[in-house]
Amino acid sequence: MRKNWTGYLFISPWLTGFFLFTAIPFLVSVYLSFTRYDVVSAPVWVGLANYRKLLFGDPLFWTALRITFEYALIAVPAGILTGVGLAILLNLDLRGISVYRTIFYLPSIIPIVATSVVFVWILNPQIGLVNAVLRLFHIVGPAWLMDTKWAFWSLVLMSLWSVGGSMIIYLAGLKDIPAALYEAAIIDGAGPWQRTRHITLPMLTPVIFFNLIMGVIGAFQYFTQPYIMTNGGPEDSTQFYALYLFNRAWRYLDMGYASAMAWILFLVVMFFTVLIFRTHARWVHYGQ
Amino acid sequence: MANNAITPRFGKRVAAAWISTVLLAIGLTVVLALPGPPPRRHPQRIPVRMWHMWTAEWKEVVERIVARFNESQEVYEVLPLSVPMINADAKLLLAVAGGDPPDVMAQWNPVIPKWAESGLLQPLNNLMSPAEWEEFQRDAYPAVKKIGVYKGNLYGVTTGLNTFACYIRLDYLREAGLDLAQFPDSIEGLGAWGDKLRRVDAQGNIKRMGFMPIYFTYYAPAFGDGFYDWRTGRLQLKTPENLRALNFLADQRRELGFQNVVRFESGLQIGLGNMDWPFMTGAYAIMADGQWRVEQIARYAPTLEYATRPIPPPAGGRKHFGYTNGNFMIIPKGARQVQGAWEFIKFWSGLAQPERAAEFYTWGGWLPPLPAIANAPIYREYVRQHPQFQTFLDLLPSENLQPIPPVPFQVYLFDRITQADEAAVRGSLTPEEALDRLEQEIAREIESRKEFGYEN
Repeated sequence: MRKNWTGYLFISPWLTGFFLFTAIPFLVSVYLSFTRYDVVSAPVWVGLANYRKLLFGDPLFWTALRITFEYALIAVPAGILTGVGLAILLNLDLRGISVYRTIFYLPSIIPIVATSVVFVWILNPQIGLVNAVLRLFHIVGPAWLMDTKWAFWSLVLMSLWSVGGSMIIYLAGLKDIPAALYEAAIIDGAGPWQRTRHITLPMLTPVIFFNLIMGVIGAFQYFTQPYIMTNGGPEDSTQFYALYLFNRAWRYLDMGYASAMAWILFLVVMFFTVLIFRTHARWVHYGQ
Repeated sequence: MANNAITPRFGKRVAAAWISTVLLAIGLTVVLALPGPPPRRHPQRIPVRMWHMWTAEWKEVVERIVARFNESQEVYEVLPLSVPMINADAKLLLAVAGGDPPDVMAQWNPVIPKWAESGLLQPLNNLMSPAEWEEFQRDAYPAVKKIGVYKGNLYGVTTGLNTFACYIRLDYLREAGLDLAQFPDSIEGLGAWGDKLRRVDAQGNIKRMGFMPIYFTYYAPAFGDGFYDWRTGRLQLKTPENLRALNFLADQRRELGFQNVVRFESGLQIGLGNMDWPFMTGAYAIMADGQWRVEQIARYAPTLEYATRPIPPPAGGRKHFGYTNGNFMIIPKGARQVQGAWEFIKFWSGLAQPERAAEFYTWGGWLPPLPAIANAPIYREYVRQHPQFQTFLDLLPSENLQPIPPVPFQVYLFDRITQADEAAVRGSLTPEEALDRLEQEIAREIESRKEFGYEN
């Protein structure tokens, strides 16, 4: 018992922070979601009004949810494919491979705010790098962030920029695959594709599973890039859920409404996380 | 014995450890040597904490005004603090909620109705005598009252209005054979001038814009009452006049091709403090912009030949129209030195001594809230040196200068008007559909506010 207390004493700074800044606000936000609250005056109980307005009286809520859902559906798999592909390439035994690994990893440690500002310039239709390159091939590039059809896809494209973080995890996963499996496969006559298909990918599924869960959670909380680069525009085409929630909270001072939005988001994320967990027994291999 | 020998590898590690330690020591020394906040010059006086959002050259102007106030005082010392613009509002809200707000804050965001409704602001007319309040209501320019007054109380005292007018490059007029004396008296005529002044390359890309009317909020008051009936206090969104205004903007954009304009504009720097303002760099022949550009041109392009004129109204429309906003001072709930804050507001705004305050308005190139300041000798001298400024001064008495309607959901309204504007000029919706959608969105918001127990 005495031993336990010593342990708790050591972790007490973290526990205090967790209760004060995470657990208590988390629980208070449940109450706030049933109130109208503007930070300054006392919350006023409104029952289910926030949830009713969200579900039946706010088309922008559905727009934001749809856009975020589409982003999760496209950007997360795209990030996994790119990350795994890069990790496989960077797992080759080449001269100077550690330099290449560093180069591909570097973008993920650049602050996202700085990256976003740089991408605003890169994607500028008139003086941006992307359209300048396209012009070399006599292609007139789109207006990217200023075009309702392209703004969303610009953000999806940009999400691949920081794929280096997950790539490193895939790389660690690849290093963990026993060489004996490949040796046995080669003896059995398996080619590169078959080795990738039947050894590398199955053995990598625990890592893919982890990144999928984290990716989905991250995608539903996607905020910084649209906040800096598009502010939800043009014409609400990048009005992501977290951005709309932020605007409701801090621009319109609807903290109760924003709390209700946060709880709906929590339930949506939980639903998808549980769904992915439920399916994992079918496709995740732990090598037993 | 061989094990105890200093190997090259061990030597490298020791060297690396030493280098790291030295670098860390240098870094810590630099950080510790950085100067802290300047000591108070008048520690015996009552401190009045002021927040503002200006930076760079504007921050210097604010500090000059503060210094002048502190020199004039024996009781209070104003301590200015520039807070980052991007989260200044959130910072203030949290400061009020936490019980430690500044005593006074300079604002320019459309926050008064919502913050007043939430009880976040102190009514400033309570700090005036009845005679002073009456005088303010009588003398202040209409836009000052439209911005600062909510439900009969004054919550923000303007310390600088913004209005918008045409900046005209005389060299381009000469090149196109146009005469400033014949400046069009209708917006349609100005459109025709714009066509003559526009330059496009062989591929049809715009290289120089003649004139491009933008923003529904600017042009709605030219065609009718705008978005708000100031007499009855009712919103009016889908009116025939607003529809005409939006149709006009959409037609102008359609003529040039929306993508064409987007591409042209995206290559320009449009910032408040930029030296590469497109008018100065020659990307626009005629451009509607705010009065602060006069000061900027004087500073960064003193040889530029240009003139200013009010944006002409549409045929049968209203003169001297446009959107207006401004810098204004608020006193938040929980401020400790309300009287000190009020003294400072009166000092800067000119409510106390208009002639003295006139000088501050010339430092920032700001439009004053009171005719008494505009007529002060020092301000007249400034206008004599910058004759282009007179155009903006002439706009001030107009009732057709309108801010965003003072409703408690003002920011939401502004956002949805902007969306309607964007949808119409991009052609995603017809102007009529865009106004229908706007009206539905706002009706829904009003309805839900009733359900939430708000008064309006």
